[in-house]
Amino acid sequence: MENQFDVVIIGSGAGGAPIANVLARQGKSVLVLEKGPLFRTQEDTKGLSDFKRDELMATGGEKRIRVNDVANWGESYYSSHVEPDLNDEPHVYRDFDGRDRATIEGYTAQCVGGGTQLYGAVSLRFAPDDFRLKTLNESRNDIRNDPNEDVKREARDWPISYEDLEPYYTIAEQMIGINGTRQNQLKPASQDFYQKPLPPNPISRFVEIGMDALGMKRYRTPVAVITEDHPPSGRKYPGGDAAKTGYVNRYGCPLGLKSNTWVALLRPVSNLPNFELRPNCTVTHLGMDGGGAVRHVHYRDAGGTEGTVEGKIIVVACSAIESVRLLMLSAIRDGEFARRIYQNDLLGKYFLTHCFGGAEAIMPGRFDKSISMDSDWATDFCARREFLQEEGLWAGGAIYNNTSDQCLPISLARTHGSQDIDTIWKSFVEDTSLTGDRLAAFLDENFGTRLSVSFMANQVPLKTNRIELHPTIRDKWGLPSAYIIKTWHPHDRYLMDVFAEQCAQILRFGGDGGKGQYPVYEKGGLYQAENGLARIANHVLGGARFGTDRSDSVLDPQCRAWEFDNLYVTDGSFMPTSGGANPTLTIQANSFRVADILLQRL
Amino acid sequence: MATGVVTITDDRSRAFLSGRILEKDDTYILNYAAKHLARTNNDRRHDYGQYGSADPRATICEAWRFPIIDGHYNEIDETEAYHWNEVTFIYRAPQDRPAPDEVAVIGTFAPIYTALPMRRVADTPYFTVTALVPKGEVHTYKYKVDGEFQLDPINPQQTTLDNGAVWSRFFTQGCTQRLSFERWEMDILTRLTDHILPFRTEEGQRFLQQYYESLDRQTKEQRYPGAYRFDESVGVANFIDKLVAREENHHLIDYKICLGEIKSLFRRRNPFVEPHQVPREMYVELYDQMASGNVPGWNYQAYNNPRYFLQLLRRHTITGAFAHPKYGGNAGASGWAYLSERYKDAANPTLFDWRRVLERPLGLDPIYRG
Repeated sequence: MENQFDVVIIGSGAGGAPIANVLARQGKSVLVLEKGPLFRTQEDTKGLSDFKRDELMATGGEKRIRVNDVANWGESYYSSHVEPDLNDEPHVYRDFDGRDRATIEGYTAQCVGGGTQLYGAVSLRFAPDDFRLKTLNESRNDIRNDPNEDVKREARDWPISYEDLEPYYTIAEQMIGINGTRQNQLKPASQDFYQKPLPPNPISRFVEIGMDALGMKRYRTPVAVITEDHPPSGRKYPGGDAAKTGYVNRYGCPLGLKSNTWVALLRPVSNLPNFELRPNCTVTHLGMDGGGAVRHVHYRDAGGTEGTVEGKIIVVACSAIESVRLLMLSAIRDGEFARRIYQNDLLGKYFLTHCFGGAEAIMPGRFDKSISMDSDWATDFCARREFLQEEGLWAGGAIYNNTSDQCLPISLARTHGSQDIDTIWKSFVEDTSLTGDRLAAFLDENFGTRLSVSFMANQVPLKTNRIELHPTIRDKWGLPSAYIIKTWHPHDRYLMDVFAEQCAQILRFGGDGGKGQYPVYEKGGLYQAENGLARIANHVLGGARFGTDRSDSVLDPQCRAWEFDNLYVTDGSFMPTSGGANPTLTIQANSFRVADILLQRL
Repeated sequence: MATGVVTITDDRSRAFLSGRILEKDDTYILNYAAKHLARTNNDRRHDYGQYGSADPRATICEAWRFPIIDGHYNEIDETEAYHWNEVTFIYRAPQDRPAPDEVAVIGTFAPIYTALPMRRVADTPYFTVTALVPKGEVHTYKYKVDGEFQLDPINPQQTTLDNGAVWSRFFTQGCTQRLSFERWEMDILTRLTDHILPFRTEEGQRFLQQYYESLDRQTKEQRYPGAYRFDESVGVANFIDKLVAREENHHLIDYKICLGEIKSLFRRRNPFVEPHQVPREMYVELYDQMASGNVPGWNYQAYNNPRYFLQLLRRHTITGAFAHPKYGGNAGASGWAYLSERYKDAANPTLFDWRRVLERPLGLDPIYRG
């Protein structure tokens, strides 16, 4: 087996796959190591896909937390067949009460393609202002709920601008395969590679009405699902409504229509002799050579056997929490690695997620929500500077509706009253009055009637929000687990309240034809959730931020670790701020940018 | 051991095909092995109460997934292929001794106890073979490792035959043979789940009757291999019987204790009628008492939280009613059909078009195969 490569990439998701694609096509020898399995489409196997349209694959049977030293020992959890087992690979966070708890949140997915296999595929760009939040805020004195002026102190500009990244957004949109519309976006585009969106689900009509009544300019949410043939990846679209299934968010696509990084970027290069993908291989640590370069990548294969490969360049892209953890585990094993990666104290610091939340209402009429994609309409209304000034907010965000959620019967029941995957099933099982006629009435009220509108916005970066290695808890390889310590800034809470109200307004105005009185079922930000600290919406970002000042960042503007010549980190951990939109497209665009940089030096 | 379910396939050709070996590539095998079997940490983190204190399965993640039961597609006839499962056995050679030279599996699914040789996946401790087995069946098997017969060290399912011999066991999709419960337990369980679901309301009852009657025999057999008992409502008790035999085996004990408690309660409350035949009002009363946590006459020493059991039952019931029929509930897709019949309007023949995106012959998707 080959063990020397130009580039070894750890992780096959949004951060790793674009680099693999570009370098492999340019003839460089590339190895991708992926911890999870290679789940294939029907086309790959000429038979059945490993993904099924089956609700129990998204949320399986009950398991129980059996990790010592956590306060929720013994509690139930339910995971997808793609998520790592919580007992084998615990993510632990410190809760409000100071006690440690294990959480299923923050895992994304563990398979070739990573989170892009299971995500809802909303593929928004960040807004130009998301890249310059320090500049935007440094002379302001109207930021609310920020008594210590943390925002001004902690906001950072990215070392690259929107204009720098724009060509790579374009490449990403072309290469990945995304449908949507451009007009009314606050994100200028030099070229438009969007595919034509399919007609929206009829329930999204309420969102149209609400957004129009409020003067919120709207566009069809860019979703990474193909609706036409996609020449860059060689995928054919079967026609009609084939891409609208309802088995969307938290489901892999058996037909490969969802543009995950396997079908879009890796499969197209998988037959090249200079490209190799090794799934089911867990990287345990990196090692230096004598000359000051990171050289060795040590891993465990599917049989548990240890292996080592060498790369001229090493790219770490296994999701923010796991990438930071891998760098820390490497530092434990290698003093020289430690000296360099800890050239300042910032590794793991400024861990970020998103301010996330929304509103939900039971709409008049009933709709077949199972014929849908994850989202139909989006607006950048709340990313406008005027809006930020009116509301005293430091940063903006995107608002879009969720069309597919709760469109299937079991998901309706198990998410009834619960806000996340840690507390799934809880309300339904406890609401023992729902039987017989009353269960029928519950279905009558909720099945095909509920509509939610969500926001995704920047979280204030705080040094105290961080990833560490847990002092006692270990994973199935005996290695220290990641330990998440984070809280919400008062301004985050305020921001979530403001954005949730905007989402509620859309439903109020949409539900009654523009009068604004329609009752909203619930609204809020995730800080209000029972486990609001664990909640990270599976957008795990920061912890190894890039910047122009080596004393203020872990990575240089090229996403290369300061003090290293050949170590790059390209998942969401590079982000100094979390952006006002779902992060995947920006991670992909940045990886295409880094790929260009690597090409120049190989 | 086969349940002898009659479907459209001729019994003789079925017997001929069962146990036929299929080729699966290494990636398919390693996709399961890496996640579930590979590890160095031997903490007993996967024991939720279903294992004995010395059972090494407690260190394995989701040991119940083995052998792997998957769908089948033969590139020729989807409807015929739909009646089969691919069953993949994985044996992991122990690390503390030299790897065996020969590993095979022998079982009731293959012709007259023929040992199927298992190939070694290169450079790994895993031996594997995949066999074609009809849906709706229960089988026993053992591994033959360098001539020695042994139980599957991974799969927790075992069964004791009439002669006292213990064998490893698996069942394929759509199985209706009782595995976990006695007849009387199934009967009480059916009454309880009926109370939770909307199907035994007068209206629901009418729907089910019409729905079942509207399906002809061939439709039933094509779409729902495994020959569900169409005389029973939605098959939720069967779903639970299978769930606690495999994925949630740790909850079998809850059912065993609580169904026994309920039986003796009803016996005391109404000595003249069989517990599964007591009037509906008695089930309603019991349900409400369990919901309150206060059940007069309940043996709290034996099971201290009847409300917890009720919550468990609620989750299992709603899941069984609406999960894919291959899991043994949602009989004849009646749960989905209930929703799709109930929800329609003038412009739409249904507002839950579940068949549109599911595999044929169960559904109508022209491309997707289950």
